[in-house]
Amino acid sequence: MSGDNEPTETSNRRRFLKLAGTGVALSTGLAGCVGTEDGGTPTATETETPGDDTPTATEADSGTATGTPTPSGPDTVTIGQPASLTGQWDFLQPAVSQSTDLASQEINEAGGPLDATFEVQRRDTAVDPQQARQVVRQFINSDQVAAINGLFSSEIVPLWDFLQEQRTPIISPWPGSTYLDTRGGDKATPSDLSDDEWLWRTVIGDTVHTSGAATAMIENDFETMGILSATTAGEEGWTSQFVNWYESLGGTIAEVVSAEAGKSSYQAELSRLFENDFDAWGLSFALEDATTIIRNWDEGGYGGQLLLEDGLMSGDLIDAVGAAAEGAWIAAGSTQGPNYASFEPKYQEFGDAEIHTWGVAAYDATNILALAIHHAGEANREAIEQSIGAVSREGGTPVSTFAEGKEALDAGDEINYEGAVTNDDFTPHGNVWGDVAVSTVTPDGFEQAFTIGADTLQGRIDDY
Amino acid sequence: MEIPLAQELIFGLVIGSYIALGAIGFTLIYGLVNMINFAHGEFITIGAFVGFLAIAEGGLSLPVALLVVLVVTGVAGWAIARVTFEPMNDAGAVPLLLMSIGLGLVLRNGLRTVAGAERRHVPVPVETFRFDELGFFVTSQHLTIIGITLLAVLVLHLFLTRTMLGVAMRATADNEDLALVSGIDTRLIRNTVWVGASALAGIAGLMLAISQSANPNVGFGQLLLILTAAILGGAGSPYGAVAGAYLLGIGITVSVALLPSGLTALSSTMAFVVLIVVLLVRPGGLVNAEVRAS
Repeated sequence: MSGDNEPTETSNRRRFLKLAGTGVALSTGLAGCVGTEDGGTPTATETETPGDDTPTATEADSGTATGTPTPSGPDTVTIGQPASLTGQWDFLQPAVSQSTDLASQEINEAGGPLDATFEVQRRDTAVDPQQARQVVRQFINSDQVAAINGLFSSEIVPLWDFLQEQRTPIISPWPGSTYLDTRGGDKATPSDLSDDEWLWRTVIGDTVHTSGAATAMIENDFETMGILSATTAGEEGWTSQFVNWYESLGGTIAEVVSAEAGKSSYQAELSRLFENDFDAWGLSFALEDATTIIRNWDEGGYGGQLLLEDGLMSGDLIDAVGAAAEGAWIAAGSTQGPNYASFEPKYQEFGDAEIHTWGVAAYDATNILALAIHHAGEANREAIEQSIGAVSREGGTPVSTFAEGKEALDAGDEINYEGAVTNDDFTPHGNVWGDVAVSTVTPDGFEQAFTIGADTLQGRIDDY
Repeated sequence: MEIPLAQELIFGLVIGSYIALGAIGFTLIYGLVNMINFAHGEFITIGAFVGFLAIAEGGLSLPVALLVVLVVTGVAGWAIARVTFEPMNDAGAVPLLLMSIGLGLVLRNGLRTVAGAERRHVPVPVETFRFDELGFFVTSQHLTIIGITLLAVLVLHLFLTRTMLGVAMRATADNEDLALVSGIDTRLIRNTVWVGASALAGIAGLMLAISQSANPNVGFGQLLLILTAAILGGAGSPYGAVAGAYLLGIGITVSVALLPSGLTALSSTMAFVVLIVVLLVRPGGLVNAEVRAS
């Protein structure tokens, strides 16, 4: 029967393909335009920007704070926080929001920078570079923020030139990318803005903690490893760095099996990986796929010591596969910097978000920005950029909160902010050093097993 | 003695089964309602959430949860279609297509708003059966998804060939006007298709919730594979869609085993290479016939 209707079938088929193609294009396009994940909607600490929403070129370019200027300074100083409120990394945002809000409250209780109200405008980027670009534009043009606190590696790297053009100081608690190892900071010439690259991070880079992870494996006699890695930029970056360090320390990588994210099963990839002989295997995937893979690994009875990438240090992983992954290792920047002990109880009292490295680093980023604004004496972006190193690098009175720092600055002292997660002594490239903590997965949570000290790692990394 | 590629074939059947359950409904809607439903992924997502509620919150066993998902998702899909697509039946394929894209966005973001973005895991005990001398293992979850899919195909076949409603459905797909003047209640046929397609999508959602999690994007993530399976099999043909789905699944898993080291991430791409080749060699898809033509 079908043979009789061949012209009709061809027509139907062409029609189906045309419609399907149109649909895919429209669906993709609409997803981009509309934003499938609440793009750009201000949430959390929402602020009403006084005055006209459409700033003049002068206003936007000057980077002054929002609010009606008074002879002594602005009423309000606003910073922007690009946030992962949705998307595959949304599970990490609550701690960052909680830390930022805690710092913000403390800053305002201490009178605020320049004696102005300190506000954080939080907008969702879903960790999507295009959405992040739009959000940064909104921060600068509509919200007239003095500085930005946030952005992931996967947003920063593709937007690097765009971010440089904005000439707005950004301190982020998120990015681990090796791309930033030699980019960012003020090049240790705070008075000379011509070489500044405007991006600082309060969390240790992938270079440092992958070096720590590789050291941990080698020191525990895991001399051959296999790796299962996603093809996303962040995961490939972790894998590449880890492999480099591991091999440079004398380890052998049996095979790296790469796979796309979002598959319903990773059994075939595991089967391929475990055809090799190795002592341990590494997993570099985001949480959703990592839980699927760990279940598949457990069901397949493959065994072997598992090392997880640092981004998987989440209670959600424990809830989903804590028992299946029991005994796995995870190497991440230690949350416990010089002032963690004083930060932690305040954080626990402030909210119930599960604490992690990036959350603690957000507290530091917020405090440093507020101190830099106060040090600058004005909410001008260039002046703030020049003050970031001044309030955080070695020298001056050590301080651990905005209140202490403001008091010292008002007394005419130089200060050295020492953070909750690291000492925040920024390198010329705007990076920080810190210990790497290796924890073991248990059904009840992560238990810190041992630490690789920053001093050990510092000797191995030349340019950072 | 180990059987070469036996393990990969099993994994391919599993992946193919997830795709097939979605693709059967997708292609039935195209064949009988004459529209490409880009909101089909969201019907899968609804099934995932209903399954989560039934098992994790309601404490129901998997077989009972399957029945609940079948009923709830079938009715929900029919109700959504009744409100959105039915009034536009005569508007033509393109407006229906646009409506489905918009509906998909609304449902996806609506679910995200109501249920939140977090992933909800469905705890189901899994037993592994090892056949090491033959070089493969299979889990109870593998057997469940493959078994459900084969059962669905068998029931669908019996329905289409052995029941008056099934025969009327085929007649409607072949020529709706002629079916109408012959006394067939074509509206009933459309309603039946929506219920059946949504119910099957719901089952796919439940199985995905077990293997991955229930989250607002779980169905949308499968849509491209479902669409590909439908094209590969022959648009409008449920049997073709099943064959296309298994070809895709096996193509993906065997590619992982055979591709050179460093290129394993291209396994999904290889499946689409198969699609391109099939379309070039056999433009009518695997079955080379559509429901309306058969």
